[in-house]
Amino acid sequence: MSKTRLAHVVLGGCEGCYVSLLDAHEDIVALLESVELVYSPLVEETEMQKCDVVLVEGAVTTAHDVEALREARQKADTLVGVGSCAVLGGIGGLRNLYGRDEVISAVYGDEERPGDGLPGLTKRVRPLSDIVKVDINVPGCAPKTETLLSALDAAIAGEEWEMPRRNMCEECKREKKALLQHSAEFVSDSVYGLMELDQIDPERCFLEQGLICMGPMTREGCGARCTEANVPCRGCQGPSRLDFEQGAKMVDALAAVLPAGGIMYLDDLIGTGYRFSMPVSVFPSVVSEGDDEDV
Amino acid sequence: MRHMPLGLYVSRCNGQVDKVVDVEAAAAAAGERAEVVRVVDDLFEPAVADRIVRDIGDAELDSVVLAGNSADHYLKSLSGDHLRSRLVFAGLNPNKIVTANILEQVALAHPDDPAGATNKARSIINVACIRAELGEFREGIESEPKRAVLVLGATTEGIVSAQRLLQLGFSVIVADRGAGTSRVAETDSMRATVSYVMGHPAAEFVDHASLVDGQGWVGDYEITLASAAGTATYRVGGMLLADPTDAEWVEELRGHFKVDVDDEGRARSIDPRTHPAETVDPGIMVVPAYAEEGNVKDKIAAADSAAIALVLKLSKPVSVHYRDTSDVDETLCGGCSTCVRTCAFGACYIADDGLSHVDVRRCRGCGKCVVSCPVGARDIVNSPHDYLIEAVRSLAEAETEQEKVIGFLCGGCGYPAGDNAADVVASTGKTYPASFLPVRIPCGGRLDALYVLEAFKSGFDGVAVFRCREGHCHNLIGNVDMDRRINLLRTVLRSRGLDDGRLRVVDISPFEGERFVEQVNDLYESLAGSTSQEKGGPQ
Repeated sequence: MSKTRLAHVVLGGCEGCYVSLLDAHEDIVALLESVELVYSPLVEETEMQKCDVVLVEGAVTTAHDVEALREARQKADTLVGVGSCAVLGGIGGLRNLYGRDEVISAVYGDEERPGDGLPGLTKRVRPLSDIVKVDINVPGCAPKTETLLSALDAAIAGEEWEMPRRNMCEECKREKKALLQHSAEFVSDSVYGLMELDQIDPERCFLEQGLICMGPMTREGCGARCTEANVPCRGCQGPSRLDFEQGAKMVDALAAVLPAGGIMYLDDLIGTGYRFSMPVSVFPSVVSEGDDEDV
Repeated sequence: MRHMPLGLYVSRCNGQVDKVVDVEAAAAAAGERAEVVRVVDDLFEPAVADRIVRDIGDAELDSVVLAGNSADHYLKSLSGDHLRSRLVFAGLNPNKIVTANILEQVALAHPDDPAGATNKARSIINVACIRAELGEFREGIESEPKRAVLVLGATTEGIVSAQRLLQLGFSVIVADRGAGTSRVAETDSMRATVSYVMGHPAAEFVDHASLVDGQGWVGDYEITLASAAGTATYRVGGMLLADPTDAEWVEELRGHFKVDVDDEGRARSIDPRTHPAETVDPGIMVVPAYAEEGNVKDKIAAADSAAIALVLKLSKPVSVHYRDTSDVDETLCGGCSTCVRTCAFGACYIADDGLSHVDVRRCRGCGKCVVSCPVGARDIVNSPHDYLIEAVRSLAEAETEQEKVIGFLCGGCGYPAGDNAADVVASTGKTYPASFLPVRIPCGGRLDALYVLEAFKSGFDGVAVFRCREGHCHNLIGNVDMDRRINLLRTVLRSRGLDDGRLRVVDISPFEGERFVEQVNDLYESLAGSTSQEKGGPQ
């Protein structure tokens, strides 16, 4: 049997998903027996090659990303979007809260942005699916190594791979008490910042301790690693259904559970609700940036 | 998706609609979706009902859209109720009978704007067709109505209605907040009636009582009363509020059932002019409070009217309750429990399987749990999520001359206020723009932040939400929860550079048609003041 030709393209992202893949350790060796890595930041080849499967990580943030993504789609039979940037636009998508010019001047101030050879920024950060058809989506920042391998196995075998659909609470082992009880009261008297509390009960649901946890609004599949480490979910897997935007659903779900006034005065309500999924929300950017085809 | 033949029946409402609306053009909104399209003079004529029933058989219709009167008309008019019953008997599922209000909120609201009214009628009929297509079959729960009635308040009215009910073979529990029985027995003119009731083997008295729990529906309620003797649970077919001045019973009832209240916290009937005893919960009657203290004759008449209204409900051989929520989607629910804490009636619970379930006997169908569910694991059968999103999108495509505003009207107050605005238009001549497009939602608490975002996204210039005044929500705090959500949503809108002044929340009572007209016009004025730069959606 001939080896599967695998390519790996990195767009606007941090390459953390790559590290998650490398975390497979010896499993990588097994993987390499069945694949031939034809194009990747790790191999010398500088031209995108025809291949069976391409892994694309990062979001579409520059004109170059658009071209590289279209080329990847053209040359690969199966395109796998890896990580929250690729699937949801990711954390960099928060730049969509500002106009492109505003972002550039925030970075370069009065200096002119160096132009030579640098691709222009897109009007807004976009997930891959805004530009091309994506066959398999693997969200997560970064995706769990096992999840990534299982999606890759499916892609190599030519099988479909579905994201799990329930919310993160399914995986979280924390205990709920107040949330399970019928009451007109909120589960906590106030909403706290993570650093405001001297102690955080490691066994009890964060919401009941007055801490904003994005777990309910977030797709399972991460293994609840953050909540196990006593850190509330930040929502990196994105919403369970892509038509249910995380920020609006945070408003819907938590307004009757925690004091809405307290949520309102969070340091960064928008950054909390849309941290990873701004570019797949109903309004993926400030409206002045428009919604036209020009990326 | 299997083919679902649809029938559209557009009523001229005996000249009231076609005086303004081009009904043929409005009927064309159904397009190819409808197997049968008919324009009729009056939906409530027996011959028209016969025709629809024949069509259901001949064309194998599985849903019908009745365009004409408001949906609320079918709750209040015997002929409307009768038409619905006939269609159900002919084999239609109640959730597949959809009304399109082209009378009160179109023809009567915009008498001077035939073109605008016709476009609005088209849009509303189109949305009703979408609703007919997307509404799922509702499962009916059948039971034999219990021939027992709980009378709340051992007042003159309470004793008289108890006596009528006992004579008709019902058993009666008379509960009073104080020592009601001894108090009433002192009334000279009532002595014979009181002795009849007190001596009746099928009558039971509970003094110093309060209502601590309740569940179920017309024909089959389960009510727990607490008194000096402890707590006891009663199964009754209906309830009769016989102390119209006592707000405490109402307050306790509201914790478990839908009850409309007035400013004094008293129970209000669905329409004091035509249905003085019936409340929004079909098994709960209220003795009208128009009798003056000491006017025994009027009190007896009021008690008679309430008792007979209840007897009519409980004399059916079978009563059917249609559940309001869908089953939980097990592939989506992760057991986050936000719905449990959101439900004001304690109907949501997490079962041993770790998933959220609904106690249908406690569910009042407000939809708050559906909105609070971050994954969409549950839906409201009569206003499902997919329908509301589609309704927003399709209304956005309406042809209008003025700015387009979508009005989310809660079934408790906003929607009836919109219907009542028709009277105001007729009497004062004050109208509001036909580009105001209404969508009925069961409760303010059913308003998902997603619908508001979708409305602005689809190109609406303004979004109005009409919901119950504070303390008046049928679902206790649906309006409060909606406000909490809307306030947070304003931050979301502003983060995208959208002017949140284009989103207006109006508190209103069901009979405040004038305020409805004023508020719509006021919103239009403020929209005209904002520049197009601030508008969202496709530019």
